[in-house]
Amino acid sequence: MLEIKNLHAKIAENGTEILKGITLTVPKGEVHAIMGPNGSGKSTLAYVLAGRSDYEVTSGDILWNGESILELSPDERAAAGVFLAFQYPMEIPGVSTMTFLRTSVNATRKKRGQKEYSTPEFMKIARAAALHLGVKDDMLKRALNVGFSGGEKKRMEVLQMALLEPTLCVLDETDSGLDIDAIKIVSEGANKLRGPDKAMLVITHYQRLLNYITPDKVHVLAHGRIHKTGGKELALELEKTGYAEFTGKAA
Amino acid sequence: MTVAIIKTKAEQALATDFASRRSRLPGTAANAKMRSEAMAAFERAGLPHRRVEAWKYTDLRAALKEISPFAAGEVSDLSEADLQLALGAFASIAADRLVFVNGHYVPALSTSAPQINLFTLGEVLGSGGTLAPLSTDEAMVSLNGALVTDGAIIDIAAGATLTKPILVIAAATGAKPSLTALRHMIKLGAGAAATVIEVHVALDGALASQSNSVLEISTGDKARLTHFLIGLEGPAATHIQTIAATIGADATLNSFQLTVGTGLARNQAFVRFAGERSKLDISGLMLARGREHIDTTLVIDHAVPHCESRELFKTVLDDTARAVFQGKVIVRPDAQKTDGKQMAKALMLSEACEFDSKPELEIYADDVVCGHGATVAEIDPAMMFYLRSRGIPEDQARAMLIESFVGEALDKIDDEGLRELLSGIARDWLSKGHA
Repeated sequence: MLEIKNLHAKIAENGTEILKGITLTVPKGEVHAIMGPNGSGKSTLAYVLAGRSDYEVTSGDILWNGESILELSPDERAAAGVFLAFQYPMEIPGVSTMTFLRTSVNATRKKRGQKEYSTPEFMKIARAAALHLGVKDDMLKRALNVGFSGGEKKRMEVLQMALLEPTLCVLDETDSGLDIDAIKIVSEGANKLRGPDKAMLVITHYQRLLNYITPDKVHVLAHGRIHKTGGKELALELEKTGYAEFTGKAA
Repeated sequence: MTVAIIKTKAEQALATDFASRRSRLPGTAANAKMRSEAMAAFERAGLPHRRVEAWKYTDLRAALKEISPFAAGEVSDLSEADLQLALGAFASIAADRLVFVNGHYVPALSTSAPQINLFTLGEVLGSGGTLAPLSTDEAMVSLNGALVTDGAIIDIAAGATLTKPILVIAAATGAKPSLTALRHMIKLGAGAAATVIEVHVALDGALASQSNSVLEISTGDKARLTHFLIGLEGPAATHIQTIAATIGADATLNSFQLTVGTGLARNQAFVRFAGERSKLDISGLMLARGREHIDTTLVIDHAVPHCESRELFKTVLDDTARAVFQGKVIVRPDAQKTDGKQMAKALMLSEACEFDSKPELEIYADDVVCGHGATVAEIDPAMMFYLRSRGIPEDQARAMLIESFVGEALDKIDDEGLRELLSGIARDWLSKGHA
């Protein structure tokens, strides 16, 4: 279970407070959506969950399976089961995708006390997982994300998510920049990772993605706080009314 | 009015040493005369210093407080086992090997080289031959002309393609450091193809070795030379090297230069396109930490039309290390359709390191494509976060990003085995810093 308790966070460099007291619980087996206007703090929440040092948590706590993860480094969080699918995945020139995936999976397995894969073992596993997501063999040989299209990058994120076997998945605007076909492929990949011991947080600006990944609950984030929580129908409602109600509220 | 030039301690030591021991240097009376003239030219200029524009960032007069006695015929004891150890991975590559220890060819450590017409400069000078001086106003080339003891003369017949690379090793050893002056020549006849790997090493006890070598390259029409310059002399060593190359028509010259952890290194290359439609690639890596200083200075002279030059140097600096990249590209009025690109990129791992980059384009022709660029950056924190969010620990993520940075230059090496060997040297160096 993910428990976010009265979380406040600011930008470390200039002290601007972005998250102003978020309280949220996602039980295992559930998928929650976070929707909200631009600048509401959605991506900041995603980064803070993954441990990006550009943000500083000033008060509150984040508990995963009952334990605070605030003191954990990003790689320790990954080992603890946290996975963030980036809105803008980084391009890493000079590092082949396959090498990156193997390093990532083996480092995580090592920390989890699992046996590391040999190179041939891993290549088999990675290729099989890639096939499911329509990631071509050729992409695995190329430098990570370099020259990949928007859709290819997002598929690569979901491939990493599948290989790292996380228990808490945070999807940050995974639909942005994707056409409908790509959204379908990526959503199918994400849906496969739903399960009774997994919690998922889907961050999105538009309702569209939620047609494919059906949430158990929808939270509306504006001005760094959760303003409304409802069922999946809340997303459809927002599609009609927009965010004016929430942006107006705190202005 | 005459200006009295005050000689530094190092310059005085050189002059005294030359006066007292010049008779031990090889060659006839004609050579002795040329040596005197070269020494006089050197003394007029003195060690290059910061007021000499080309040496602005590498002030040898200030840096070389001490200068070792020059090598002149002393027999050096170096076992095959010690040489193997110093060569590391280079010991095991399949190549014809020419070994120079403290400035002298050592046949016992070398292999026969049936594929080439090999002479050594020592032989030539010893048998009454003469050595034409290089026409240059470079003081360090003049000094080499005065003190040169030996060198490889690699003359490859027209049309010949070497099946194995030639490994030219300059090793420094012994209890007392010396100043060595080698002068190599690589000459490829028309249509010939060869790979020459030059490796500079210093053994324990010779860590403060000083070398001032010259390499002349001349490639005939349609010839193809792949050259490597590997500097592994260590943090107490001084390495000065001048390459003077002339490229014929339809020819290719690739030179990859890896300088790793050398106290003070200056690699300067003067390359002239003498024939049309030829290609040049000079690329490399400079890796420095501690107080090391590495300087790469290139002058590419597009004297004829339709030639292409590429330069890509990647630098990684830590602690208070300093690196210099100076790249001058001259495009003469007749050199239409010249295609020249130059890029220097540095990655700074500490706040106190320094990178000086000076590109210079002198373009006198109007129908050319020429570009240059330079970047200086730290490790990108966003990339670090991305890798770490995928479970990769900090040290490993950092190493991956540095490797990816240097990889772009290493990718210039076509031969997979050599690329892997050089990558291994770079990886070893990187892993020593942040283990």
